[in-house]
Amino acid sequence: MPNVFAVPVFFIVFRETLETAIIASILLSFLKQTFDTPDSDRTAYIRLRRHVWLGLIAGFGVILAIGAGMIGAFYSLGVDAWAKSENLWEGIFCLIASIIITIMGAAILRVSKLQSKWQKKITQALQASNKKTTFGEKLEKYSLFILPFVTILREGLEAVIFVGGVGLSYPASSFPIPVITGILAGSAIGVILYKGGNRFHLQIFLIVSTGFLYLVAAGLFSRGVWTLEAYSYGKLVGGDVAETGAGPGSYDIRQSVWHVNCCSPNYNGGGGWGIFNALFGWQNSATYGSVISYNLYWIAVIIYFIFMYYREKKEAETTQDSDLEADNKNRGLVPGKTPAHAGVEVDEKSN
Amino acid sequence: MRPLAVSFSVLSLIFSVVAKTVTYDFNVTYTDANPDGQFSRRVIGINGKWPIPTIDIEKGDRVVVNLVNGLPDVETSLHFHGIFQNGTAYMDGPAGVTQCPLGPGQKMTYNFTVNQPGTYWYHSHVKGQYPDGIRAPFIVRDPKGPYAGKYDEEVVIALSDWYHDENPILFSRFLSVGNPTGAEPVPNSALMNETQGMPFNVLPGKTYMVRMVNMAAFAAQYFWIEGHTMRIVEVDGEYTEEAEADMIYLTAAQRYSFLLTTKNDTSQNFAIVGSMDQDLFDAVPDGLNPNVTGHLIYDSSKPLPDPEDVDAFEPFDDFTLVPLDGEYLWEDPTYSFSLEVLMDNLGDGANYAFFNGITYTPPKVPTLYSALNAGNLSMTPEIYGRDTNPHVFKHHDVVELVVNNNDPGKHPFHLHGHTFQLAYRSDDDAGLYNASDPSVTFSKKPMRRDTVLINPGGNMVLRFRADNPGVWLFHCHIEWHIQSGLVATFIEAPDVMQQTQKLPADHLEVCTGQNLPITGNAAAKTDNYLDLTGQNLSVPPLPAGFTARGIVALVFSIVAAFLGLAAIAVYGSQELKHKTA
Repeated sequence: MPNVFAVPVFFIVFRETLETAIIASILLSFLKQTFDTPDSDRTAYIRLRRHVWLGLIAGFGVILAIGAGMIGAFYSLGVDAWAKSENLWEGIFCLIASIIITIMGAAILRVSKLQSKWQKKITQALQASNKKTTFGEKLEKYSLFILPFVTILREGLEAVIFVGGVGLSYPASSFPIPVITGILAGSAIGVILYKGGNRFHLQIFLIVSTGFLYLVAAGLFSRGVWTLEAYSYGKLVGGDVAETGAGPGSYDIRQSVWHVNCCSPNYNGGGGWGIFNALFGWQNSATYGSVISYNLYWIAVIIYFIFMYYREKKEAETTQDSDLEADNKNRGLVPGKTPAHAGVEVDEKSN
Repeated sequence: MRPLAVSFSVLSLIFSVVAKTVTYDFNVTYTDANPDGQFSRRVIGINGKWPIPTIDIEKGDRVVVNLVNGLPDVETSLHFHGIFQNGTAYMDGPAGVTQCPLGPGQKMTYNFTVNQPGTYWYHSHVKGQYPDGIRAPFIVRDPKGPYAGKYDEEVVIALSDWYHDENPILFSRFLSVGNPTGAEPVPNSALMNETQGMPFNVLPGKTYMVRMVNMAAFAAQYFWIEGHTMRIVEVDGEYTEEAEADMIYLTAAQRYSFLLTTKNDTSQNFAIVGSMDQDLFDAVPDGLNPNVTGHLIYDSSKPLPDPEDVDAFEPFDDFTLVPLDGEYLWEDPTYSFSLEVLMDNLGDGANYAFFNGITYTPPKVPTLYSALNAGNLSMTPEIYGRDTNPHVFKHHDVVELVVNNNDPGKHPFHLHGHTFQLAYRSDDDAGLYNASDPSVTFSKKPMRRDTVLINPGGNMVLRFRADNPGVWLFHCHIEWHIQSGLVATFIEAPDVMQQTQKLPADHLEVCTGQNLPITGNAAAKTDNYLDLTGQNLSVPPLPAGFTARGIVALVFSIVAAFLGLAAIAVYGSQELKHKTA
């Protein structure tokens, strides 16, 4: 069994694929819910969907190239040179991914309220290729490309390093099957999420999936801080701490808030705990940094949404009188007003 | 650098009838040295010189060492390794056990008679001090011994390892949160008679008695002389039946004497090779030369050959040695116990070493001083403190000690004040000792020595007789492991000691001069020896899993996540209410 199926490799690949697939499926669901409606511009939907797929494919291509180069170098050097800085880039990528997801998540939820405006804005942005655009708009325009691209880059690089690191103790024959099945299993879960997502009432789906995304983002944020701490501890210790096990000596006691000698999301691919880490930021060895950053992240999110809630409630009150008029006139095309939205439209149809 | 020649001393032909008193005035001082030719550093010498003098006496002589600590900043003491000190247990030397450490400027006298012939050594027994240079052979010649007349000359070869950094610096890195695996500092060089390229000028057709000591802090060494066979006759002061060996293995602190008969042909010189056992090292640094080479020189005009490569290290197994006195295994032990060796991390994140879950922590009063003052309670182990790992034996107990090495490393275990019989030693990874295992057979005439190697993951059975009232340490002789706590305290017949031994005034003055207590239990309590409040204890263990802090943090995190999700849900569901309204 270990000769043809390296279990840690499967878990590593599965975990990284699942993380990518979750983001991709939510993005695709979002696009389908938002743009693939009878009265919307279907070409924009196809175009944005292509962005997502292009991001995934481009990221996957880059990863294959980097992975091939790294593993080639890895085997030619015969040393685990990558593991030394692995935590540094993993931490940085985690933080970047967390911030991107946070920004995207808010945008997704806001779209449910201002869908037609958002839809039009994106459509316009995509059509107006000759129009002068600001950097922010450009970022927004290509965010559906950038997000999957960065996600797959991060997860893929991580997978390459981990798989490479595990590789020393496994024969080459034990790689292909777990890598392929890991990708298939991760993608399958993503497809199920995507298909399931379609059946949700749009708004419920958006709330649930946004909550889910923010859980992932909070976990990523915490994990980013944790990983950077692990990087500095690894520099102090001078070795790959995560691969020394989950027991004493695998963590910096000075930073420890809790530590259980099991359930490590890092050691040998992490198994179920690795998935738990990917979804909720679980750590068997929590640090002050990881706990505080996790809580601060949520506090920031809570403040942000409360602020948005009251601002929009106030706006809704002040614009209530002209709501119907505005709705009729503009059909949600005027920014700054909060006219009709998806929930209403879908409900009207279903009625 | 001046190469240090092997010191020859012609066997004394005058057998003195009256034992001599040999006096040494030792002022411990810093000096500089560069024994491996790579790096000049501060070392701890004696009377401004390094290497420090070899103590060279005859059986029956009285040794007087007037020791002055001339080091301005650190403590010191001297331990005479392998000398039984029967009746003078307080002369043994380990600080915190049989004396207080000598503070800067303090002095004391070691004064004892040596009735045991053989090859010994002496070194500081304060923290991990001797690797900084304060170590040298201690030779007890035996002009009437069983091998007298079978050799023409005696020669001393002392192996050692050498660090470019001073021990306190290395130690602070070793026992720290930054070294959670407890990787021991790797020596920078191996030395032979504290130098490299040692010449050993020989005459053809002669027999030499070569006395070897490994004075290393850490590294065991394989040792061989190309083209020559060694005939082992002594280990750790115990004569053995002659045993031929092509290669021997000396752990830190072990000694071997062997007879070396030279060739009748002077056409060629031969390499003498010591090679550090790199299995001990967690990681071998780039550029480390594990070998030290000397030369057996028949003709100084001929070239000195480089050592040849060896295919494999296959050293002589000391378990097969037979004591010359034919002493049988001491039967029917009256006190049996076991020590479980384990390495683990404590609450400060550093990696400590444990016997039976205890990492040695020195008591407030030297254990021997407690034993002499405890009256009837001296037989009660508890008074010596929890973390000195005390074991009390009655006079003339036959003690059986089983050591189970749960660590994947090799350890040279040393017992002060005794040689023990190595009744049984397992191979690597044999696991825990199981007396009912039919494959376990004890040696009938076991080899005796005072320092023995235990195999990685293996076990061994030692037996010794509690015929030496005193306080004796049992510890790993890797200096790093002494400092990380792989030490137990054996208190032997303290009731007898109270009747027969009296502390010299100058020893007590070392303590009182530093306001250190000289009576009381391990916690320096004199009123009630069973009251150990305030005793020195080891660093507490790592917190287990979720403590209150961890539970609070986890609950806060979960609450924060739920509140965050609620905020998202409330914000997102605004329009649901809007719709239904």
